Amino acid sequence: MRDFLTVFRYELKTQLTKRTAIVTTVILMLVVLVITSLPRFISLFDTGELINETSGIVGDAGYVLPGGAIENAGYVLPGGGTDALLAPIAGDDPAVLFEDRDALTQALRDKDIQVGFVIQENLDYEAIYLDRSLQDSLDTQMAAILTQLKKQQLIEQMGITPEGFAAVEAAQAVGITTVLGRNSVDNYAISFILMFVVYMMVLLYGNSVSTIIAREKDSRTMEILITSTRPSSLILGKVAAAGLSAVIQFGAVVLVTVAGYQFNKHLYPEMVTAMLSGTLTTSYVLSYVFFSFFGFILYLFLYAALGSTVSKMEDLGSATALVQFLFIFGYLIATFAANMPSSAVAVIGSIVPFTSIMVMPLRSAVMTVPWGELILAGALMVLFVMFFAFLSIKIYRWGSLNYGNKTKISRIVKEALRSH
Amino acid sequence: MDLYVERGEDMQLVVNNITKSFGEKEVLHGVSFTVESGRAMGFLGRNGAGKSTTIRCLMDVFHPDSGNFLLDGSPFKPRSLKIGYLPEERGMYQKNGVLAQLTYFAMLRGASMADAAASANHWIDYFGLGEYKNKKLETLSKGNQQKIQIAQSFLNEPNILILDEPFSGLDPVNAQIFQNAINEFVKEGRLVIFSSHQMSYVEEVCDDVTLIHNGDILLSGDLDLIKLEEGRDKLFLSVLSGDTAWEKALSNAFPALGIIPGDDGLILDTKGRVSQGDIMRWLNEERLTVRRFGLYEPSLNDIFIKKAGD
Repeated sequence: MRDFLTVFRYELKTQLTKRTAIVTTVILMLVVLVITSLPRFISLFDTGELINETSGIVGDAGYVLPGGAIENAGYVLPGGGTDALLAPIAGDDPAVLFEDRDALTQALRDKDIQVGFVIQENLDYEAIYLDRSLQDSLDTQMAAILTQLKKQQLIEQMGITPEGFAAVEAAQAVGITTVLGRNSVDNYAISFILMFVVYMMVLLYGNSVSTIIAREKDSRTMEILITSTRPSSLILGKVAAAGLSAVIQFGAVVLVTVAGYQFNKHLYPEMVTAMLSGTLTTSYVLSYVFFSFFGFILYLFLYAALGSTVSKMEDLGSATALVQFLFIFGYLIATFAANMPSSAVAVIGSIVPFTSIMVMPLRSAVMTVPWGELILAGALMVLFVMFFAFLSIKIYRWGSLNYGNKTKISRIVKEALRSH
Repeated sequence: MDLYVERGEDMQLVVNNITKSFGEKEVLHGVSFTVESGRAMGFLGRNGAGKSTTIRCLMDVFHPDSGNFLLDGSPFKPRSLKIGYLPEERGMYQKNGVLAQLTYFAMLRGASMADAAASANHWIDYFGLGEYKNKKLETLSKGNQQKIQIAQSFLNEPNILILDEPFSGLDPVNAQIFQNAINEFVKEGRLVIFSSHQMSYVEEVCDDVTLIHNGDILLSGDLDLIKLEEGRDKLFLSVLSGDTAWEKALSNAFPALGIIPGDDGLILDTKGRVSQGDIMRWLNEERLTVRRFGLYEPSLNDIFIKKAGD
């Protein structure tokens, strides 16, 4: 225990005082602070001009028409734009009106305008682009404008009062939804964010542990260490230190994220706050903490064992590729399980420890997982952690004696378990 | 932790019939020797003779296939003893501070944090590296890094010091500082073993030697006695003469005498049948000018080459 604490303290101090770790943490904290404060920055620069521009015009029937709102647009209107109903579409600028489709197309080719609309008598239209980007939705805007105009025409023709039509449009049924188990909609976003935190922690700190051990072996420090104390103290101390430093560094980032969000919460669009304020039930939190913690430790032991198998730093990437692949596979299953939490793949994925680290919390967020599955998955996770802790100690000891040619992982495991 | 030195007790380490194989190849064939505290023991052998493997077995880095190590009759357990160890392939954390990692190593060997820091400070200062305490190891020159690596083996003032090729790469000044540290340890009654190729250092520092060759121990014991034994019935003769005709005459005068050319003279093997006085008389009769004549004491280098040379 004493040696474990000595290793733990030294490794923790080394990790937390590493310049790269400090710089990375500070940068991450600043990035999340900026991201969570984006609505505040937007509100600071928001002068309200956009709202005025797009407020449109009020038609005879009293409806708001977003006419003249589309910038850099050209129009071909029936009757050359003399129709009082359509005139506001072009706004006050006669330069945006074209005689016919050819003139409009030429203006597009000359890049005088970004989009052209040829509008028919019946208010159907053709939108013409020279090039259209993924984000362009100018034709959708025009569709909305013309739909409004069509409605205005109909109201006038049918002699309906604007108030009457507004009352009809506002009428809707009020419903209440009651979910007895988990409501996937509520928890989907927040559980994905929390899963991503675990994903980042495993990849970053798993690699960190394997690098520390591989470097120890590469620099031949290992022989001094294993002749001074037991390999179990060394491996357990290193893994515990990596785990705690991950919690400290990610904890700092998460705290800043939460603080940034809370500080700017009132400026967030309602849709975003609704997504983020999912109901975190006690059972979900317990499932997340248990499977994330033990799964994280399990992966740290795997990375530690693989770090012991290489003789040179440059071989580390290929040695850890297998476990990286396994982990990313777990991430993909978790993504699948979020949409189909009761499928066989999701159930198996939430029980096998290598994937249950992410799949089980995600299933717990979107459905009520049967107790039997939770207990089986939890028991397997604890057993796997214990077995891989034992195996990584054996492989570390094996690694301290073996330098040189690459050896197959199956042979390493066999030799490590056979020796000592 | 053992308190041998503090209690002024002697220690005896017995290496008992150690065998070790790697795959099909046996590299140690029943290695046995004894080391006493208060006497430095030089462990000699050519490259690949089995020195480092024996030391690694002793330090429990490798497990021997058979045989055992006994300290005063009890099983030798390196992690429960105050041992300083310098591996052949030495390395430390390149990117960590010098004082911090030496303190860490001392703590792993059982010292409290305060004692570990005090010991680390002491040995850094001893090797004249006080100004580098808070520097990263990688910023030190290669020579200074070697001194720090040697300093780690002295941490906690170990009762047993096991050094694998400690003089390798050291310049003469640093070798002398290191030699002084070893001598002090030996005087204090500690048990010191070190392997080396450099016979001059072994001859200066060691009281006992053990010679291993191809996994077999060829000789082991008190260096002076070994030299005496190797020089038994042998004389050294150096004569001032322009030619070698006298050598022929000597051979004719004493047919039983074995004559071996040596450095700057002849080694005469009397085989117990020719006396030193008879040869002296013959030299006088022949009126030869004798530069040196007396008992032959082989150097360690001579013994090494004779025993371990193919």
